[in-house]
Parts: sequence; C-alpha cells; structure tokens
Amino acid sequence: MTNPVVEVQHVTRNFGKTTAVNNVSFSIEKGSTVAILGPNGAGKTTMVSMMLGLIEPSAGHIQLFRHHPKHISVREKIGAMLQDVSVVDKLKVHEVIALFRSYYPSPLSMEELIALTGLEKNDLNKWADKLSGGQKRRVGFALALTGNPDLVFFDEPTVGLDITARRLFWEKVNALKEKGKTIIFTTHYLQEADDVAERIILFNRGEIIADGHPNAIKQQLAIRNVSFQTNDAKRAIQQLQTLPIVSKCYQKDDRIYAVTEETDTVLASLFKFDLHAKDIAIEQGRLEEVFEHLTKPNGEAEINEQHNDAM
Amino acid sequence: MNSITMQCKIEVLRIFRNPYFVFWSLLMPIVFYFIFTNIVNADVPDVELWQAHYLMSMTAFSVMGSAIMTFGIRMVQERTQGWSSFMKITPLPAWAYFTAKMFGQTVMHLFSVILIFIAGYLINGVSLTFTQWFFSGLWILVASLPFLAIGTLVGSMKKVETASGVSNILYLALAILGGMWFPIYIFPTFLQDMAEWLPSYHFGNGAWEIIRGNAPSIKSVLILGGYLIGFMVISALVRRNEEAN
Repeated sequence: MTNPVVEVQHVTRNFGKTTAVNNVSFSIEKGSTVAILGPNGAGKTTMVSMMLGLIEPSAGHIQLFRHHPKHISVREKIGAMLQDVSVVDKLKVHEVIALFRSYYPSPLSMEELIALTGLEKNDLNKWADKLSGGQKRRVGFALALTGNPDLVFFDEPTVGLDITARRLFWEKVNALKEKGKTIIFTTHYLQEADDVAERIILFNRGEIIADGHPNAIKQQLAIRNVSFQTNDAKRAIQQLQTLPIVSKCYQKDDRIYAVTEETDTVLASLFKFDLHAKDIAIEQGRLEEVFEHLTKPNGEAEINEQHNDAM
Repeated sequence: MNSITMQCKIEVLRIFRNPYFVFWSLLMPIVFYFIFTNIVNADVPDVELWQAHYLMSMTAFSVMGSAIMTFGIRMVQERTQGWSSFMKITPLPAWAYFTAKMFGQTVMHLFSVILIFIAGYLINGVSLTFTQWFFSGLWILVASLPFLAIGTLVGSMKKVETASGVSNILYLALAILGGMWFPIYIFPTFLQDMAEWLPSYHFGNGAWEIIRGNAPSIKSVLILGGYLIGFMVISALVRRNEEAN
C-alpha cells in the first residue's frame, strides 16, 4: 500500500431497496492493471460509476489520487470508456477529438492517439454518430486516452467485438500498461481477466468474493481433485467418502474422482486403503470452473458441476 | 478558456448542421410570413403596419420554437445517450457545458432574427427605422429567456419522445393563444383575457410595440420576468429531486 491511486473504503450503494454494492473496500496501486470481474448484475458498473464520481455512494468513501473523484485535478488525470455512450450528433470524429483535446492540460496529439488506439485515418472524417460498432469503440478508446490520463477505466470494453478486434484492443491495452498507466477494467469474460490483469477483484451480488493475482485466486479457490482407475469402484467410493477432507466422490466413465482441498492426504489414503489405483492424476479446476462455481447460487452450482461432469 | 471557446464553437456547428433547424426555425416562419401577408389576410386597413407586425410575430415564433424545442430535446438526447454523464468525467465544468449550449442557442436565435428580418424586407419591402430593427431584434433575443427556461424543463424529461411531444404541443399552443399566428383581437373575449397572462403574448407584444414606435410595456417585462423566475425555480427543484434519487 505504498502509492494507492484508488482507495475505496466500506462503500455501499443502494438503489431503492436493492443493494448494488455492499460494503466494499479495496485500493489500487499506481501502474497496476486490475480486472473487476463478475457476472452480469454483480455491481461492476455501479462500482466503476462511483469511482468516476458519476454516482455517489450511499455509504463509505472513495478517493482517486487522494481527492474526491469529482475534483478537477482528478478529472484531468482520468479517462474512461463507458458502456452505452453515443457520441453527440452532427460532429465528425476529428472534431470530437479536437473538442476533447481542448479539455485537458496536456492532451495527446492526433498521431499519438491513432497509434495508441488503432483508430484509422479514414475514420476521422466520418460522422461520429454514424459509425459501426467497432469504429465506435475505437473512437471511445481514443476519447478515453485523449487527455493522456494516468488512470484509465474500461467498462466492459470488449462486449460485442469480434475476436480480432478483441485481440487488437488488448494488445493496445498491453502497450498502455508498459507506459505505466493504471488500468481498471470490468469484464464478465474470465479469460480476459486472467490474460490481461495482474489482479482480479471478483464481484458477486455486490460483494467482493475474491481479490488477488489470477494465480493466487486459482490457488485459493480452485476445485482440486484426485482421479484414478480401479477395478473395485464401489469400494473405492465408499471408502473415500468416509474421509472428512473429501467433499465429493463420484465415478465418471471409468475413473473415480475425489474432490478435495488436500490432494496429498487423499493420495496417501488411496494407498492406505489399498484400492489398487492405477493412472492416478491430480487436477486443478480451471479458473473458468471456479468462477462459475463461485458466482452461481448454490443449487445451481451443484447442477452445473454435474453437468460438467457428464461432459 | 480554450475549452469553453471550443465548446461554444462546436455547439454552434452542431446547430447549423441540423436540418430541423433550417426547416422549423427558418423555412416555416418565412413561408408562413409569405402566406399570411400576401395570400390570406391581405385586406387589412394598414397593410404596411400589418406586414411589419406579422414579421415580428413570425420572428418571435421562430425564436420561441428553437428555445423550447431545440434546446430541450437536445438536452434529453444527450442525457439518454449517456453523453451528459460522459462529459461529467472530463475536466470541462458543468457550467461551461451549459454556457456553451446557451451561447450556441443565442447565436442560432440571432441568425434566425437576421434572416427572417431580411426575408421580410425582401418579400414585402418592410421598412423600419434602424432603431426599430435593432431594438425589436434585441427584444426578441433577450425576452426569449423564459422560453429557454421552459426548454431546460423539457430537457429534464426522461424520454426524447415525451419531450418532443410535450414541447410541440406547448409551442403551438403558446404561439396560437399568444396571438403569433392571428392577432388576438379576432379571438373570443375569454381567450383574449387569457392571452394577457401568457408569456408568448408578451414576448410578441414587446416587438409589436417597438415597431409602432413605443417601448415594450412594463407589464410585458414583469410577466416575462415572472415566468423566467418561475421556470428557473421549477427547473432547479426538478434537478434537485433527480439528484436525490
């Protein structure tokens, strides 16, 4: 906690009777890339809107660069690409960018913006409100960077983009990372969070349910299992289920799976019970599974696991 | 200051690129002017006075329309499209954003006044003294403020469709009942009495007085001022109510 750019302390936001964000605290270091990950309706956009000062928290405090998010010195240092923003009509792309450049003390040049965002030269003379989805996103990206911000927010930046556009976008974001920018983005694509971010803050129903390096989250939350083949499946399952550390034991195809947090102990037990286990494997659940497991309501998670098992 | 100049420039650019502006604010009043001074109603006692009177009516009609409709509907559009929120995260202060809008609107009004006055001169050879041209134009610019305040009220509506529907009805009702299309002396008495309390009547009446060589009446100034304050207060209350939610 040496140089936090964003500090969120015990923040809650209610909309009428629903609580979109519930007692959330975290801080974000300068130069880090953080993914706010969660399913739709988890409170990600509300969280970002509060960090941007567009929505006031019902309780708690948020500071950016040690000031209120609405402070002018903060606004000069941030940029954002938000969902559902259409550029006003009757303006060409280069005019909108020129307008935005006039807002900031040291804006990037048009050439720099083109290089940074992949904006195409022939996009510049088009009407800003009559662009295709991909072009619109590039303009949004350029507007977010116009002021040469230290802190950039991307709210669901790749929704609706095709694979190529998505890959290009993340390449550009990686270039920003190398420039030392602090980047906060929301996504419900786990893969993106895992690939791009060095920290994931996992949101579910308005609360943080995990926070850390993608690997640490996997480590902390992954579903691990020991699987093996045996001739006496029935006895193996019965015996393994007696172990308190095994949360679940089942057979799929010709393999027995024991779900556990302590794979070593289960291995030891396998030999102790003399189960004639062959082809033993230890597997760590993919983050994708962890994510689904964590964010689904309990009953549904159970069904989902069985569904996965059947595949 | 650079950003405010730029913002003003952009607002003006956007207004002039809008085909609705050209149609509703320029073409329609000028066509109306031509029809009601040359085709219909040509048998008035003092033709020259009627031509100057109706020129003021149509100029006021044009400016009132853009103040209520263009201004309000654009505000709703920019809000529903997320643009207003997006502007809030830039360093441009909210007052500058609003000021630029008002500036763009004023330039548009000035342009309409000049063009419609020229049309009056070209169509009917309306001739007024310089003072009369100048002060009637100035009156129409300044006294349009209450209608801009109505525009901000329209601008606080949730949907573009509602805003556009409500402002259309309001605009036409104010124009007709305020005597901009037909002089109020042809109305039944109760409508004449009502017109005396409408901002649109007093808006037109100030200019009608100026071209007759008189100053706008104190009553007109007071009523328009009262409406301006009233609409500003309501607008502020609406906004406070919205922010609380």
